Amino acid sequence: MFDSLFSSAQRAIRAGKADIRLHVLSVFSLAVAFVCLASALLIVVNLQAIQTRWSRAGHASIYLRDGASEDDVLSLQRALEQTPGVLDTRYVSPSDARKQFLGDGVEGSLASLPIEAFPASIELKLAVDITPDAQAAIVTKLLALPQVDSVETYERWTERLANLVSGGVAASGVLAIVVFAAVVAVVASTMRLAMQRRRIEIEVLKLVGATDQFVRRPFILEGAMQGALGSLGAIALLGVLFLMVRDRFDASLATMLGIKPVFLPLPVVLGMVGIGAILGALASFAGVRKLSAV
Amino acid sequence: MAGSASSFRPALRPGQRFDTTAARRPILVFESVYKAFHADQPVLRGMDLVIERGEFVYITGPSGAGKSTLLKMVYRAETIDDGRILFLGRDIARLADDSIPYLRRNMGIVFQDFKLVPGWSVFDNVAVTLEVLGLPKRLIRSRVGEALERVGLSGRGGDPAGVLSGGEKQRVAIARAIVGEPAILLADEPTGNLDPQLAFDIQGLFEDIHESGTTVLFATHDRTLLETRPHRLVILDEGVATDVPQGLGHGEEPDSRVVQFRAVK
Repeated sequence: MFDSLFSSAQRAIRAGKADIRLHVLSVFSLAVAFVCLASALLIVVNLQAIQTRWSRAGHASIYLRDGASEDDVLSLQRALEQTPGVLDTRYVSPSDARKQFLGDGVEGSLASLPIEAFPASIELKLAVDITPDAQAAIVTKLLALPQVDSVETYERWTERLANLVSGGVAASGVLAIVVFAAVVAVVASTMRLAMQRRRIEIEVLKLVGATDQFVRRPFILEGAMQGALGSLGAIALLGVLFLMVRDRFDASLATMLGIKPVFLPLPVVLGMVGIGAILGALASFAGVRKLSAV
Repeated sequence: MAGSASSFRPALRPGQRFDTTAARRPILVFESVYKAFHADQPVLRGMDLVIERGEFVYITGPSGAGKSTLLKMVYRAETIDDGRILFLGRDIARLADDSIPYLRRNMGIVFQDFKLVPGWSVFDNVAVTLEVLGLPKRLIRSRVGEALERVGLSGRGGDPAGVLSGGEKQRVAIARAIVGEPAILLADEPTGNLDPQLAFDIQGLFEDIHESGTTVLFATHDRTLLETRPHRLVILDEGVATDVPQGLGHGEEPDSRVVQFRAVK
């Protein structure tokens, strides 16, 4: 088994060297197709990272009603500090809120907003590992209190991102189908062309008693190698582009998003190479299914 | 080396048990073989022919008489329309497609146009026969070396096949045909592309191979070869095969068909 695989690999390499231009062109075409898919996956992976980070932002704002007294605030703060999952509380008075808002450089008509436009709030720092259910339970209890007007957990932003991510996943899925179809078409065509160029080799093999399986095996290996090299080339190209972009990624932008850009995780990279190889092998098998009748 | 009566082992399928009666049977039997590419012009019309083990048989006839077709039917590149072709007692005309490679492993085939892979080395072109059989590399190296020595190309294994002369290419093709120790050697106009001197050299090689016990079916329309090295002769013409057991060049008068063929030539 190992011997026959080794022999097939040797024959595939020998044939690959003879048709090097054809194979390079094919691998390049595959790399272009795969780079589209890898780019889409890279965007999805980073959006997913932002979503995960934001879903664990560990921050919530409790907006108080206008009539809430200082005692109400203090007792609420004490109660919150004893609640599991709450790490810290900070009272923000209307004047502090206005100062913060205007301090962010807001100008024009917004700058003339009165202090009454800014409700007092208690800013909560939550544990990073707090579950969405536990967070939801705290919000429900808070909303039942008379001095609490509303609670902002920034979940809506997470939901928006989740929608974006699921849209990205769906788009990537469609793109994957297109890319896979392109890979199959390119590899099958290349292998059919290679088969035509190696007609005499196939004829000789069949005349000396080679089975169809023996004749096909190197072609299938070549197809698998093309698929794997195409996807690997795409990932390498995307890696270079990613490094170029990452170096220009502003620190304040990273702070705002809560993450630094990440490259495709290793399992995704390996999965792409594996899929490339499998698709290449299948396409090649389809391409050389009908060997010349000798 | 090639195929002594006791060593031949038909391998029509992997793992098939050795049939001990096969060694006593004629190597090739044509029974009422009928073949036509066009209904009104049959290539063979009920041909009967028996070829015993170790024979050297020329197949001759005018162009289009069916010499190549007859050989193709033996290695199953063509099918017959009617009749039977028995190779060591087995009807190869009715072999399943997946058994054909195993049939061909018992045969060496040489063509007029050599059918070498030009991008491969001489060694690779010969070794392919043994690689198909899955033999170990070391054994392949030694047997290819022996085969190249037999055809007078010792030490030329590394040369690219594409740059060889016609005579050398045909020697490589013969080495490829004999390296697997076939029971029968089928030669389809092997001297057709060679000048007369080279043709004699190549014919001499076939004689040497035959002397070591291999059955040879040699298709040619070169009368000089038929006369200078006489062997049993089968003349194909207008769908009929005429057997001349003593061949040409023995002073015997062949039948009228041979005369007719000579006249055509």
